[in-house]
Amino acid sequence: MRKRKSKNTKKGLVFNVQRFSIHDGPGIRTTVFMKGCPMKCLWCSNPESQDFFQNLIVRNLNCKGCGACVSVCPQGAIKMSDRKGRQIDWGKCNQCLICADVCIYNSLNVCGMYVDIKDVLDEVMRDMDFYKNSGGGVTISGGEALLQAEFVAAVIAACKKMEIHTVLDTTGYAPWAKMKAVLKFVDLVLFDLKHLDCVQHRKATSVGNELILENMNRTAKERRIWLRMPVISGFNDSEQDIQKIAILGKSLNVIKISLLPYHEGGKTKCEQMGKVYPLRRVKVPTDEHMQRLKELIEGEGVICTIGS
Amino acid sequence: MQLAENLRNKFVSKAVRNVQRGYMDDDKSRGLFRPEVKLDLQRSRLMTESFRETDGQAMVLRRAKALAHVLDNMGIFIREWERLVGYQTADPNGIYHPIDMNWKSVLRLVKSDAGKALLNDAERKELDGICAYWKGKSMSDRQQEMFTGDLGKYWQYEGTYLWTHWSELGIPDYETLLREGLNARIKKVEERLEEIDRTIPLDYIEQKEFLQSVIIVLKAVINFSNRYAILAEEMARSEKDPERKKRLEEIARTCAWIPANPPRTFLEAMQFFYFIHLVRYLEYSTLGIGIRLDYILGPYYEKDLKEGRISRDEALEILQLLWVKFLELGLVYSPLVTSVYGGVASLQAITLGGTDKLGRDVTNDLTYIALEAAKTMRTIEPSIALRIHKDTPDDVLSAAVDVIRTGIGYPSLFNDDAIIPLLIKWNVPLEEAKGYAVSGCVYMEIPGKNVTRRAVGYFVLAKCLWWALHQGMNPKTGEQRGARTPNPATFKSWEDVLDAYLEQVRFFTTKLSQVENTCRDLYAKYCPKPFYSAIVEGCIERGKECKQWIYPSMVHDFIMVIGSTNVADSITAIKKVVFDDKRVPLPELIDIMNKNWEGRDDLRQICLNAPKYGNDDDYADIIAREVHHRTEAVMETVKDRFGYSMRGDGSAVSATYGLAIDTPATPDGRFDGGPFADSTLAPQPGMDKKGPTAVLNSCAKIDTLQTYNHLLKQKFMPQYLEGDMKPVFLSYLKTWREKKIPHIQFNVVDKKTLIEAQNYPEKYRDLIVRVAGFSAYFADLSKGLQDHIIARTEQQLS
Ligand code: SF4
Ligand code: SF4
Repeated sequence: MRKRKSKNTKKGLVFNVQRFSIHDGPGIRTTVFMKGCPMKCLWCSNPESQDFFQNLIVRNLNCKGCGACVSVCPQGAIKMSDRKGRQIDWGKCNQCLICADVCIYNSLNVCGMYVDIKDVLDEVMRDMDFYKNSGGGVTISGGEALLQAEFVAAVIAACKKMEIHTVLDTTGYAPWAKMKAVLKFVDLVLFDLKHLDCVQHRKATSVGNELILENMNRTAKERRIWLRMPVISGFNDSEQDIQKIAILGKSLNVIKISLLPYHEGGKTKCEQMGKVYPLRRVKVPTDEHMQRLKELIEGEGVICTIGS
Repeated sequence: MQLAENLRNKFVSKAVRNVQRGYMDDDKSRGLFRPEVKLDLQRSRLMTESFRETDGQAMVLRRAKALAHVLDNMGIFIREWERLVGYQTADPNGIYHPIDMNWKSVLRLVKSDAGKALLNDAERKELDGICAYWKGKSMSDRQQEMFTGDLGKYWQYEGTYLWTHWSELGIPDYETLLREGLNARIKKVEERLEEIDRTIPLDYIEQKEFLQSVIIVLKAVINFSNRYAILAEEMARSEKDPERKKRLEEIARTCAWIPANPPRTFLEAMQFFYFIHLVRYLEYSTLGIGIRLDYILGPYYEKDLKEGRISRDEALEILQLLWVKFLELGLVYSPLVTSVYGGVASLQAITLGGTDKLGRDVTNDLTYIALEAAKTMRTIEPSIALRIHKDTPDDVLSAAVDVIRTGIGYPSLFNDDAIIPLLIKWNVPLEEAKGYAVSGCVYMEIPGKNVTRRAVGYFVLAKCLWWALHQGMNPKTGEQRGARTPNPATFKSWEDVLDAYLEQVRFFTTKLSQVENTCRDLYAKYCPKPFYSAIVEGCIERGKECKQWIYPSMVHDFIMVIGSTNVADSITAIKKVVFDDKRVPLPELIDIMNKNWEGRDDLRQICLNAPKYGNDDDYADIIAREVHHRTEAVMETVKDRFGYSMRGDGSAVSATYGLAIDTPATPDGRFDGGPFADSTLAPQPGMDKKGPTAVLNSCAKIDTLQTYNHLLKQKFMPQYLEGDMKPVFLSYLKTWREKKIPHIQFNVVDKKTLIEAQNYPEKYRDLIVRVAGFSAYFADLSKGLQDHIIARTEQQLS
């Protein structure tokens, strides 16, 4: 599946196509994860989705120490030592990805591939029978899928033509025109929301939330929304925060609100890409706390689930 | 009503442990059975007594009289909770060994570490005496004597196949038996005897001896039941506890009435069925049950319910008691055979669901009660085979998923849409195909028909590929054991590899069938089964014992194939690495494999990176399809002694682990002795990277109609079968059915639990896992087999 091409507008940059995906919308689905995101959430659990280019991702456990990568790296960024094994000097690495080609042990891998619309559709169509029986379909997620709105619109338009149920999973941080163009072919929107306070939002995600909230209001007029919110201890998990979200959800007539408790999943992946994981000592919310928040939302008359 | 929990604590599992892989020991010090289990010599003793007296008579009469002698004289008992009675030995912890089949292995066993706890010294001495009689007379002696020359050479297990006579299955004609009772059957035989006295057919003597033997055994079965009636009556007289007294009186009434007469109630029908099953098992130690429980016994329950004789709870209790009965049965296997049957008691499965002759759904209240019994008892046997068709009620499927969710590994689901057309292709008439049942693993049965002596053995297809890469010659010993296929250096494409492999398949299937056909002749001569013949359709009518003729279909002769996925993945790897990418010439790859990849881990990795079956990737799947379809076509060219084709079968049991030890490294990246894929349709563990839907899509590319009854096992985490996810799982099953994949079963337990159980076996004595076609107590499996199960891919994406 390692397809490498120079950037090309007809192609999409995808970092994963996940089949038998059962948490990103109804039924059995295939989720297409688009690579590239304009936001930088501190807790991001998919940091490999952030860069809008292919990058090197490393699985140290797979390394057999064969040394093949050391000699091909034009930057001299790879070193071998007896004590630590194969090591990457991320400061020197310029993401040329040559080393990944020679590593047969799948220790050095390329994250992201440039694919044609047809490639995506071929993969998506394989599970048609499962969609039909489960009420599932395709979900386009990210990164932020709307960064590649043209490609995404083409993919889901084709899906709609084949009567596949379509879901867009978005942060909502994109020009409305782009969003509107995609929404035309979307049955359901999974809208991710992090915080209602703009200052807080900017602190944690690097962007403000004005555009997001505006888009959310506009989207609600066109499509049903399923609101998803990561619950980060000390950031957005107070009862007041959640209360506000619940009220917003109610006013937008959302299908449900999913609370996704923070987990440290992004940490390992950051290490695998030579990135710094920005969060430290953030606790995973307790089950009791999550339960309380859930009840709060339900108290407003909005359906709420924990996890998905 | 007695609680399931109480019953569960009362029986001792007779499941055998896998103590060997091929000829290698595998955690042998655990012993072959749980420590409480003892060998009971009664059957051996009584059979021997009878055989000493009947010397010189026709074999069918001798075996009938021996069985009758056992039934007339073996010690019987009734346990305090029982409402259904009947036992294989005189001791509740007993197990018997079929001395008439083989005495050497049992003698070896009771003197070995694995089996010395089975007998005390006095019994060991008695066994010596009994064995002395059977020397030269047991079936295995007769085989040894007959298998000379090439037969002798290819009878021995060497790693390519394990020929075995254990699985002699078949399902009696319970429908007619229950409707008429045994008295009516005896009368029918007497009429036949009168008839041949009038007509004097050419085979008069053969018919007469057979029919007389049938009368002997049927009367003995009635007497056996009467003995229980008398015992129960005696016990009832002195019993103070009113509940217990009531149960004993009920047993006395039941056993005095059936099996001579047709049952009048659900309990009587159940007791009737169980006596038939038990006596069959005493006549010839065998595996399987296969009764269509809801279809055959459901009407008795419904009648009782309507007439106010029974409550649902009571029916549930009777089924739970039946479950205990099933679990009491077990077999003594030779240590070598535990490589394939590790964890099995006697591989009994019951069938639920499906359709009647006219295609109408047969599920009824008893279907649900049986599922509930399974859920409450959580025992390794009986496994449940649930037949699914387009009209299977959603509620039945939903109840089945709840049972699967408990992690006991069944019901395993059979797809009528795939299997019925397959049976029709095997010349089974449509109406009979619609009545099919499953007796254990994925064994296809036509209930009531003379389908017998069938499982030929375990056939390691991956080893055939290995022979093809070595021109049929073992490179270590220089022995030319397989066919002399062309030199791999001359192969131009993967098709050449496939052709050479198929030639080896043809060669070894032929050898295997020669052993089998010879053996069947021996069994027909020296091991007739008058009782089994009396309870299937057609033997009495013809005056012929069941081995003298055959139900006209190739449903019979199945060879359980293992390692097909590894063959497919290996040929795919050769295509990719040798012919497409030209990374290494084939002879060099073979050399490297012969050194078990030593020093060439890089090449092994490159082979592992080649496309693999199970990812919905046509590159690999199309080769898999070719391998499957053409292997079957080649096997079908080989015939049994009645002229019917041999065929494959997916009942892998634990052979994919046990026998894999004797197949050296293969080009799919597998190491010498490494386990094969779990079942005929399963991807190699860890190689399916695209999740369960991709696996099903890959499976669907293999056409059941061009192959055989497959087995497919998937592992799911429990949360996928409950709550919001349950409807999704049900829709997954619907798609499975529509894709016409013949079978599916699930291991539902998370990795964490398995690892815990491996470390703390005491805490997890009851943990059941699906091995392959059957369920086993995890604690009974060797560490190696446990590791293998833990390593299997968990379908836990997203
Ligand atoms: S090529 Fe791969 S396996 Fe070899 S040293 Fe480099 S990272 Fe490790
Ligand atoms: S991707 Fe980085 S480490 Fe790999 S070869 Fe290029 S510069 Fe070197």
